[in-house]
Amino acid sequence: MNCKDVIFLSLMFVAVPMWIGTIWVRLLKLEGRANRVLHAWVLGFVTMLAVSQLVLVPLVALGRTLTAALSIWKFVLQVLAVLAFGMLICEKEFWTKKFSAPAEGKRKQREEMRSGWTIAFALLAGVLIFIQAYIPARYEHSDDDDARFIAEQVSAVVHDTMYMESPIEADYLYWDTGEVRKDLTSPWAMFLAMNARLSGIEPAVLSHTYLPFFLTLLCYGVYVLIGKELFGDDWEKTFLFLIFLSVIHLAGYTSTHTLASMLLLRIWQGKAVCASFMLPLMFYLFYRIMQKEYHRSWIALLYVASTGACLLSGIGIVTAPIMLFLYGALDFGYHRAWRKTFAIWMAAVPCAIFFGYYLM
Amino acid sequence: MQYVAGVWKEFLEFVGGRGGALHLLLFLAALAVCFFLGKQERKRLFWPSVLVLIFFFNPLFYKYVGMRFLGGVYWRLLWMLPISFVIAYALTRLVDRIQKNVLRVGAIILACFCIILAGEPIFSQTTYQEKQNEYELPQAAIEISDYVEGHLMDWKETIIVPNELLCSIRQYSSAACLLYGRNSGGFISDIGEDEAKVFAEMSKEEPDIELVTRIALEKNCRYIVFNTSFHQIPEDLTKYGYQKATVVEDVYAIYCRIE
Repeated sequence: MNCKDVIFLSLMFVAVPMWIGTIWVRLLKLEGRANRVLHAWVLGFVTMLAVSQLVLVPLVALGRTLTAALSIWKFVLQVLAVLAFGMLICEKEFWTKKFSAPAEGKRKQREEMRSGWTIAFALLAGVLIFIQAYIPARYEHSDDDDARFIAEQVSAVVHDTMYMESPIEADYLYWDTGEVRKDLTSPWAMFLAMNARLSGIEPAVLSHTYLPFFLTLLCYGVYVLIGKELFGDDWEKTFLFLIFLSVIHLAGYTSTHTLASMLLLRIWQGKAVCASFMLPLMFYLFYRIMQKEYHRSWIALLYVASTGACLLSGIGIVTAPIMLFLYGALDFGYHRAWRKTFAIWMAAVPCAIFFGYYLM
Repeated sequence: MQYVAGVWKEFLEFVGGRGGALHLLLFLAALAVCFFLGKQERKRLFWPSVLVLIFFFNPLFYKYVGMRFLGGVYWRLLWMLPISFVIAYALTRLVDRIQKNVLRVGAIILACFCIILAGEPIFSQTTYQEKQNEYELPQAAIEISDYVEGHLMDWKETIIVPNELLCSIRQYSSAACLLYGRNSGGFISDIGEDEAKVFAEMSKEEPDIELVTRIALEKNCRYIVFNTSFHQIPEDLTKYGYQKATVVEDVYAIYCRIE
């Protein structure tokens, strides 16, 4: 591992999403430092995915270069970063908050976090999660699907094209869809190619050595949020939940298709990110939405997540609307709020558009 | 009935063997626990899981959507099932009910032990190995590609490589192109008749060199790579129009077309 690359990727996969995610943190009026940081990271990353999808699909269809896509993508991210900064300085509490004494509730929460069992569980969960992030980055696992995904990235970076060459023979493809049509509507490989171009890291090195570390931690960021939500912000139970979750994943090689196999064997592939990050994130969003009182911005996030799911894989285009349909119906069964249900179902529109484009 | 059998086959493919079945049983037990734990658990974990299962096992959905758009990967819909989350949640809640700390720790260790015993370890020598380079690709693939890139006569060269390198060459180089790749196994696209003949020969210990070189010349393949620890070929291929250029990793002999 190269120190310069690690710093750059920490910026691209941690700092930038976190900064952009502060927009959501402010809109959702989230409290608590750890809570805000985790939400900012996770929601910022999903926003980056959605933006990439909106930029890449038209440009791939128009046969534009990777450089053009990268320029527009960077511009949109910069706009979002400026927006996040604007929201930060416009926030009233920005100027006063850090000088105020912690409220009683927060003090209690901190004391609770410092209890012996919480620390022990936190340490154990931390070690288990670190192992899961470190081993895929440190050791080699080869997956034949990379023959297509990474070859497409290499062609894109070297020849400044997007899905214009066959990943095997390098013959020019006389249609706009890459090797298979779903490449057009789920251009995750081009998202990685943009990151490879930006960082100067070879696509194979980026996917095999660096991404497993960052993406596994990001996935666990979502799982922490799920645990916190399920256990009502009880850190001790959340850490215990993470320990069990880690053990299940570490012993989860029961087939090559399980969530554990996706998370710990090939997290750099779009479908694995869909299974390990996007779908759990959608569970989390539904947990926040399926309440009588909820912040409307959570529903907006469903639109962002469903757009981001399309970037990852064809299976994202299929599973996101199914989940929206099922959870929307379930929420209607509980709360009878037809407007809310309609808003949830409408979040499937981006998937429907990309699916329609795929069929065309 | 045919569709029910199809869905069941996909389900079994997802579950895998005995370990998968045990984890699935654990999930069903955890789901039952969630049902009795309270309204929130039913709403967030139990009913969504039940709905996903109903959706997945719906033969009509399988017939009209599954077979048409998700042929062979219908099992991926089961990713919508929060299996690990439900198990972890139920275990946490059950363990939390134990008051005595010693018993609690004992219960955690026992639960973890059961999960490990039922499943299969994901980190093992079959899944991970020491990496040969930062690319996590076979070193031979890198050295062959470097050789090809270093001797380019066009912006790309078409090469024939041993089967074990079919998936790695293009992950490293955009200039080293393959006569056939993973599609030799019928993956995504089919290969031509000539390519199939070469692939069949390259899969043999004693390939028909005359056939391989003839097709390679016809298809403008400048390089043919043989794995000399597997392929039994004559040292000198000049009479077939190829000459030995170099050997990488002691076993991969690169033959170059005589110009």
